[in-house]
Amino acid sequence: MKHVGAIASRELNSLFVSPVAYAVMTLFAVLAGFFFLSGVLQFQDYVIRLQSFQAMEQLEELNLNDHVIAPFLHVMSVVLMFLVPGITMGLFASEKTNGTLELLLTSPITIWELVIGKFLAAAAFVAILVLLLALFPAILFTYGDPEIGKTAAGLLGLLLVGLVYAAIGAFASSVTRNQVIAFVLSFVLLLVLWMLGFLADLGAAGGAATGEWIGDVLRWLSSADHFESMVMGLVDTKDLAYFGVMAIAFLVLAKTAIESVRWR
Amino acid sequence: MIEASGLSKRYGDLIAVDDVSFSVQPGEVVGFLGPNGAGKTTTMRILTGFLPPTDGRAVIDGHDIFSDPLAARRAIGYLPESPPVYPEMSVEDYLVYVAKLKDVPRRQRRAAVDRALERCGLADVRRRVIGALSKGYRQRVGLAQAIVHDPPVMILDEPTVGLDPIQIREIRTLIRDLAGTREGKARTVILSTHILPEVEAICQRVIIMHRGRKALDAPLEELQRGGASLEEIFARTTAREVVAPPDVAGEARP
Repeated sequence: MKHVGAIASRELNSLFVSPVAYAVMTLFAVLAGFFFLSGVLQFQDYVIRLQSFQAMEQLEELNLNDHVIAPFLHVMSVVLMFLVPGITMGLFASEKTNGTLELLLTSPITIWELVIGKFLAAAAFVAILVLLLALFPAILFTYGDPEIGKTAAGLLGLLLVGLVYAAIGAFASSVTRNQVIAFVLSFVLLLVLWMLGFLADLGAAGGAATGEWIGDVLRWLSSADHFESMVMGLVDTKDLAYFGVMAIAFLVLAKTAIESVRWR
Repeated sequence: MIEASGLSKRYGDLIAVDDVSFSVQPGEVVGFLGPNGAGKTTTMRILTGFLPPTDGRAVIDGHDIFSDPLAARRAIGYLPESPPVYPEMSVEDYLVYVAKLKDVPRRQRRAAVDRALERCGLADVRRRVIGALSKGYRQRVGLAQAIVHDPPVMILDEPTVGLDPIQIREIRTLIRDLAGTREGKARTVILSTHILPEVEAICQRVIIMHRGRKALDAPLEELQRGGASLEEIFARTTAREVVAPPDVAGEARP
């Protein structure tokens, strides 16, 4: 595993040399600012209205965690669904078009080192995005009094979701030499993964009693439910295991795809 | 130094390399000659461990490419048909990165990179971005990349293709130099080409490939003694069977 660092840092460097990284970070910051601001304004508006109605009970229930931070994190997890593929699309596809995959595969490194190095570079970038995002809830702490544990759990959830996205994006990039195809493929995979939970709900609503266990499987596979419980402040090993399993599964697939270059 | 026996590579019905065996002694410079699609690139890719052979085995510097792949790859410096460079990196950063990949120990890395830069005439452009270099310089970077870990074996796939005549001469001289100088030891070189004078200029031995098979394997001296020019020998060898031309897909990139 001694080559992982070299591969990861080269990848990260080349991300920051290209305009892609800056474009993604800018877009991310702008969207985050927009959604955060609109969330806060809505919250303020809501508070004023409840006060004018003297609705004390509802006012009691209102809090920054559930009504500002949680929706904010949710919408940002959707934003990550199309920004992370932008970062990961070139991971392997660009090595193929550069001809540098031939250098890597004829060097004394293992394919695992290559895949993990690439993943870590993308993971570091996702971590930077999440850190950037943490600034927004931090603003709330100076003006209000949200729960720190719940906020941290939500941010951790977003990071983990982002890492799974990165693993899926790495896989998409490993099966093609075209970056656009890699982008579209990973976006589609992420969308499907996210919607699986809704699909299960739809099936249940339609009264598909026979498909009970299928619904459970779909719900487990869906990233949305696991993320949801972390945003609610629950750090459950079950959810942590989900993120771990998904990331590892797609990295194994990526490794297999790279290996298959040799066997074709 | 290089021991290939019964190498074959089939893609479905297409036979790219068919039962090729040869051995190369330390310090020998061997030219792989053949028309496009003859199986030169595929043979080289098998030797470097990029492609697994369908059949046969190869041993590089005492390491089997199959059972001991990492050690075998460490012993090889490989320049594919197009230099495997990252256009956004500087020449120096790129060579440092390759040195890391090739297991050059941390303490010797600096010196190894400096030596490669020096030998390939890249010292003046070390901080330039590779994407901004001319084709000839990029080819030099490709060669520097192949020798940065000072390997006993160098495998070069059409090292002068696409260069202008002056660059071709420079690169040839460079290859000759690199073949001779390796800290007192000799370096074994295999290079492929379809330019005949190139073989005469650099190599001591010729292996002619034709339709995936080894059609001829002889020292250059011996061939030249026969009186016939290499061109005649080449034409005779590759025209022996007049059937449909081989499928060029044999050299296609995977």
